[in-house]
Amino acid sequence: MAVALPWMVNAYVVSLAATALVMAVLAMSAQLLVGLSGQPPLGQAAYLVVGAYTAATLATLTSLGPIHLLAATAAGAVAAAVTGLVAVRVRATTFLMVTFGVGELVHAAAGQWAPGGSEGTHIPPVVALPGLTPMVRPGWVYLYVLACTLITGAAVIVLTRTRFALLLRGIAAHEPRVQAAGHHTSRLLLAAYTLAGAIAGAAGALLVTVTRYVSPADAAMGVSALALAAALIGSGSMIGACAAAILLVAARDWAGGLLSGHGSTLLGLSFLALAYLPRHRLAGLFSRRDRGRT
Amino acid sequence: MGLSGLVNPYTITALDGVAYGLLLFVIAAGLTLIFGVAGVFSMAHGTLYLAGAYIAWQLADGGWVGLGLALAAAVLIGAVGGAGLAAAVRPLTDRPLDQVLATLGVAYIAADGFSTVFGAEPRSVDPPRALAGSVSLGDYQYPVYRLGFIAVAALIVVLLIWVVERSRAGAVVRAVVADPGMAEATGLRTRTARTAVLVGGGVLAVTAGVLGAQVIGPAPGVDTTILVYSLIVCVVGGLGSIRGALLAALGVGQVLTLGVALVPGAAAFVLAAAMLVALTVRHRPAFAGRPA
Repeated sequence: MAVALPWMVNAYVVSLAATALVMAVLAMSAQLLVGLSGQPPLGQAAYLVVGAYTAATLATLTSLGPIHLLAATAAGAVAAAVTGLVAVRVRATTFLMVTFGVGELVHAAAGQWAPGGSEGTHIPPVVALPGLTPMVRPGWVYLYVLACTLITGAAVIVLTRTRFALLLRGIAAHEPRVQAAGHHTSRLLLAAYTLAGAIAGAAGALLVTVTRYVSPADAAMGVSALALAAALIGSGSMIGACAAAILLVAARDWAGGLLSGHGSTLLGLSFLALAYLPRHRLAGLFSRRDRGRT
Repeated sequence: MGLSGLVNPYTITALDGVAYGLLLFVIAAGLTLIFGVAGVFSMAHGTLYLAGAYIAWQLADGGWVGLGLALAAAVLIGAVGGAGLAAAVRPLTDRPLDQVLATLGVAYIAADGFSTVFGAEPRSVDPPRALAGSVSLGDYQYPVYRLGFIAVAALIVVLLIWVVERSRAGAVVRAVVADPGMAEATGLRTRTARTAVLVGGGVLAVTAGVLGAQVIGPAPGVDTTILVYSLIVCVVGGLGSIRGALLAALGVGQVLTLGVALVPGAAAFVLAAAMLVALTVRHRPAFAGRPA
């Protein structure tokens, strides 16, 4: 059904759906940190924007989408590896505070240094594979983003079944035990943070493919908050995080559009609902299935 | 040389930095104590500042009466807002992430409300007429209001440090920061202390908004900016530490004014590096978000 979407609804909904997929990838990036290692990040939009600007800069050389995606992934990883040095020194709420601070600093720096300044930059339509024509129609963009999201999702699910993911779960459960077993937990967290940055960078390349535009506003706190909230709603599950991200984007953009632009009130209400509702029981379905897998 | 040698564009900018730093301290002091005492990272703290700045824009009409009204409204709204936040996070005790989400939700709804009521464009607030002029420092003109602001803010700083470090209420607050379990066991009312700190922090943040509206004026997005800078002040100064916050706030104030004038565009990197250094040097045992 997801594949048939472009033939079922109008172009506006199709491009919204593509944006929702981008946020789903970003939510997986947040889930890798909060769902596996128990450390909540509130700055993932920073790496999304690093990836987006990398893709936008590369677009002047080549319009080949997969190359943008790989370069953005690498750039997101590098940025996260450097800034992660600050973040992995702390845990829990302080981790959230520090990642929020770092994310906002990247937001501010993007306004200063990035090409186009606070106005942002536009890029031409992207080519999915060599020999094809540039993707102008939203339907093709959506299908390309859907394919990339599925590939990223598959890679992430493979990652959650590794020994590395088990160690991260150990950090979430009881860090001293993992340390006592001879593991350097801060290094493990830095590796997880780098991987999460890579995924967020990939989301950035997809964002540029969808909107053909990037500006420092894409690094705003709201983007990071949405990704974190989606990860929390998904409570530990990657598929749950993706579904929640799609729902939140629908609440913010689609329902918010119907309510004449009060999307951020809707988003605020959904954060409040998320805080007070007994979501651990509601979402137990997802997490139990995931735990069974690993 | 004498005085005129001291007065050059850099010292004038540094003076602006002092005003900025003191403003950040008044806001961040509340945030750091709220985190230290109640364990809550209030994402709505910048919203309270922005509320104060809009109050100043609405009520301050250039006379002393307007400023007085605005300050009275600020104390009221700060207390109500702080108590409201305390009530909002109480059912979420021991669920820090949900507290963040709840305060974030409040911040989002408030930000949408502000831009609906006050519009999306930045507003400028005029100082009281009596303080509207400027004085000459050497060859330069400096706004009187800003000097007055520095004086008032310095007074608030002294009062605040006195309350936290010398008064009985401050001793309770510090006891709860240091060891909540032990504080409760010795019969201190930690729940009251938590509410009181949220109310006090709210009053400080909204008052800072009224007084600081000329330094950082009301506009959409100012809530996030203020939240980030006061958060950095808290992290660099050490969570729950009031003197650390003062030093960090003055430092951040200089980075954001003098630093920007000397090396444009480097502020973000300097602040990130400062957080890294502070977190490395202090080297806390890596658990939970409690201050040591």
